[in-house]
Amino acid sequence: MPEKKPKPETPATFARLPKEAPRLGVYICYCGGNISDVVDCERVAKVLGEQPDVIVARTNMSMCSDAGQAMIEEDIREHKLNRVVIGACSPFLHEQTFRGTVSRAGLNPYYYHHVGIREQDSWVTHDDPEGATAKAIRLMNAGLAKARHLEPLEPIRLEAKKHALVIGGGVAGLRAALDIAERGLKVTLIEKTPFLGGHMAQLESVFPTDEEARPALHELIEKVVHHPKVTIYTSTVIVATKGCVGDFQVQLRPVARGVRGVAPGIQAAIEACPVEVPDEFNYGLTRRKAIYFRYPGCHPPTAAIDWEHCTLCGECAKVNPKDIRLEREMTTFQITVGAIVIATGFQPYEPRPGEYGYGEYPEVVTLPQFIRIMAMAEDAGELMWNGHPVRQVAMIHCVGSRQVPGVHEPQPDGKVNDYCSRVCCTATLQATADLRRRFPQIRIFDLYEDIRTYGRGHEEYYRQASLSGVRFLRFHTEQGPVVIADPTGEHPLVVKVNDYLTWGEELEVPADLVVLAVGMMPGPIEDLIDVLKLSPGNDRFLLEVHPKLRPVETAVTGIVLAGTAQSPMNIQESCAAAEAAASKVAGLLSQGLVELEPFVAHVDLGRCTGTGACVDACQYEGAIQLETRVIDGKEVQRAVISPAICVGCGVCVSACPNRAIDVQGWTLAQYEAMVAAIAAEIPALVEVEA
Amino acid sequence: MGSERKPPQTKVLILASLSGGYRGADSVGQLHTDYPSNTYILPVISAAIFPESFYLNSFEQGIDAILVMFSGTDSPFKGSAEKTAEIINHAYALMKERGIDTRRLRLVAICTVCTAAFLREIHRMEALLEEIGPVSAELSASPAPEPEPQPA
Ligand SMILES: Cc1cc2nc3c(=O)[nH]c(=O)nc-3n(C[C@H](O)[C@H](O)[C@H](O)COP(=O)(O)OP(=O)(O)OC[C@H]3O[C@@H](n4cnc5c(N)ncnc54)[C@H](O)[C@@H]3O)c2cc1C
Repeated sequence: MPEKKPKPETPATFARLPKEAPRLGVYICYCGGNISDVVDCERVAKVLGEQPDVIVARTNMSMCSDAGQAMIEEDIREHKLNRVVIGACSPFLHEQTFRGTVSRAGLNPYYYHHVGIREQDSWVTHDDPEGATAKAIRLMNAGLAKARHLEPLEPIRLEAKKHALVIGGGVAGLRAALDIAERGLKVTLIEKTPFLGGHMAQLESVFPTDEEARPALHELIEKVVHHPKVTIYTSTVIVATKGCVGDFQVQLRPVARGVRGVAPGIQAAIEACPVEVPDEFNYGLTRRKAIYFRYPGCHPPTAAIDWEHCTLCGECAKVNPKDIRLEREMTTFQITVGAIVIATGFQPYEPRPGEYGYGEYPEVVTLPQFIRIMAMAEDAGELMWNGHPVRQVAMIHCVGSRQVPGVHEPQPDGKVNDYCSRVCCTATLQATADLRRRFPQIRIFDLYEDIRTYGRGHEEYYRQASLSGVRFLRFHTEQGPVVIADPTGEHPLVVKVNDYLTWGEELEVPADLVVLAVGMMPGPIEDLIDVLKLSPGNDRFLLEVHPKLRPVETAVTGIVLAGTAQSPMNIQESCAAAEAAASKVAGLLSQGLVELEPFVAHVDLGRCTGTGACVDACQYEGAIQLETRVIDGKEVQRAVISPAICVGCGVCVSACPNRAIDVQGWTLAQYEAMVAAIAAEIPALVEVEA
Repeated sequence: MGSERKPPQTKVLILASLSGGYRGADSVGQLHTDYPSNTYILPVISAAIFPESFYLNSFEQGIDAILVMFSGTDSPFKGSAEKTAEIINHAYALMKERGIDTRRLRLVAICTVCTAAFLREIHRMEALLEEIGPVSAELSASPAPEPEPQPA
């Protein structure tokens, strides 16, 4: 990095503006009886009204009503209040409402503090009104203590590029790209493989409508590919990012396709290739060449070279020297975008060798493999597998999902997949319906722990399966089914199971094919997590800030999630999440200006001695840096925050040995004051608590 | 009657992360399930902001127990869970030095709907306080060390 010229320090930046004496207004809401039925609100107001700096202390039946808000506004103007504390319902419900109230009265909206005395007091202390009242007084008193330390804050405003990057060309990424483009923003979509479509391309008919997956997918791809606002790079990944919301500078590394355009005669070139590898499109059931199409009709309609397996023998190029170039490397390039959508999808759980006989017996396959087997099977006659006709099929649910520590073997990272993959129950039942329809003579056994067909229309598959003679057997986790070779030799396998629908009876199900309904796991995106500083959850899927109130947003402002990168989802849910991500991106970027909450770290330059402990502790690259400054003629190091990159997690606060950093709006001094207020003896409380 | 004063109530401070414990506490409220009123919940963006001295000072002020209800490995902030756990470990060392029972400080992962876990932790801490009493007894039994010079 080039040396930065030291900045001369002006003494004015050392000191914070002198604060005016606090003039506090305190408001306690009855919440229509929700609070006042238990808490003696009048008494709370009386006690708080006697506290230092409190100018007015009032109650109201409903503080959030127009009348309640008007009262607060009037008080601010009339009594020149400069801090407001409101005790009411949860701050998640009305904090924003009251910020608006104080700001309409001309006060900085961050000169207001909200105390939750409904969910966390009156609603949990029904039988102890005195205790509830004392608790409200202490909590509100702590609110007053914080309010005395409040500082005016301004939202962080940044210019934003009207350009978004979508990572992942599965259905979620495609949907997000289209929706963002339709809102008039530029979109770059990158896909790490040479082809678009993700896992949806590997499905045939899909629940809950039974429509064909690929035509629906191709319709979407056509729209994205032809949209004037969208640029697509296949075989491309992110290698580095810098910057923040509104201005992410992203380094992209493409890999050459090796084939140009539609390349007439390409089939002959493919046939000439001597290399054969397992075909991932059919989950390794078939083989393909090292120069290949993903499937007939795939997008883009250009073959690609699989550099990992290509031996550069040149046989293909001999057939088509004009369109095939065996040069893999391409130069990295940079784009600047305002927001990033992560749509990196999932990977099916890969059973351990030997898990339910997987890898041991060729007749044990996964559900994704079974879907491909069915796709390749001729409709007429018998379903054949491994050279013999299939007469009995056993489907086993919850393989790699809802695992229990101590019962199931952990993954290499030591964790078991304790979550439900949500999609597999319905997908399994849909597969049985397909099997039943096309090969009615096959007997089907469905071994399940629980059937979770949760979505609209999903339960119908269960009903239909029951009606069509699929036999359901229910096992318990601790006594899962066991797959062994059939000792009679009549069928290749036998599945032993204790069936709890018949009170634990031990049954043996002979099977020609065992289908493991494998769960979903997030794709291998460790590099991306590192580059973008994302947080995976305990289940390894990417985390949103809050599932209900800030869905699809990550802790890094400007980076949002779409589809199964976030959790197991079906196509409908993946698209809904993608649409949510697109609206979030459009909301952020369409004005060309981003406004962020000011709750980020702030350095007190008067205290900072440039130890660098904060920089070491911070996990968000560029959020905090040491800069050389000149103070009293000497060059010194001082910490400087990039407010747009800082997420306000506060790790730097505890790391600083000089208490020179705080998170604005949540300072250590404010907490210390609150704790002191909670611990303090309040003379008027003696009576209440006695 | 009326002149007899109850012994001072113990005080349990709960530092609850906005993305986890604080909403968990709201969920308990929505269920209208009672728990003792000597519990004071403060919302925190992440408990990683508190240095170990914060905990010791809180005990010195008269807080009898502290429950740090963080989001654990589900924290949306990278590295903050590990950092919080590290700080709490250091705080335990300081508490031992000061003669404070380390069971008064507990770090627990609470999610937005972990109502049962939330209540269990509160009741467990209440039971502990019944057994070991207020912190003041421990503090007066072991003298405070010389205060370290603070930056101006
Ligand atoms: C057996 C099975 C049957 C199913 N049946 C149905 C059904 O009938 N109906 C239904 O609604 N749903 C069904 N689903 C679910 C459906 O497959 C998913 O909801 C959907 O495919 C998810 O799409 P996605 O875009 O989130 O992920 P994916 O399809 O996994 O797409 C992610 C894309 O991102 C790319 N990518 C990954 N990492 C990177 C990176 N670092 N950089 C660039 N690109 C990257 C991948 O190559 C991939 O193309 C089924 C799932 C399974 C496993």
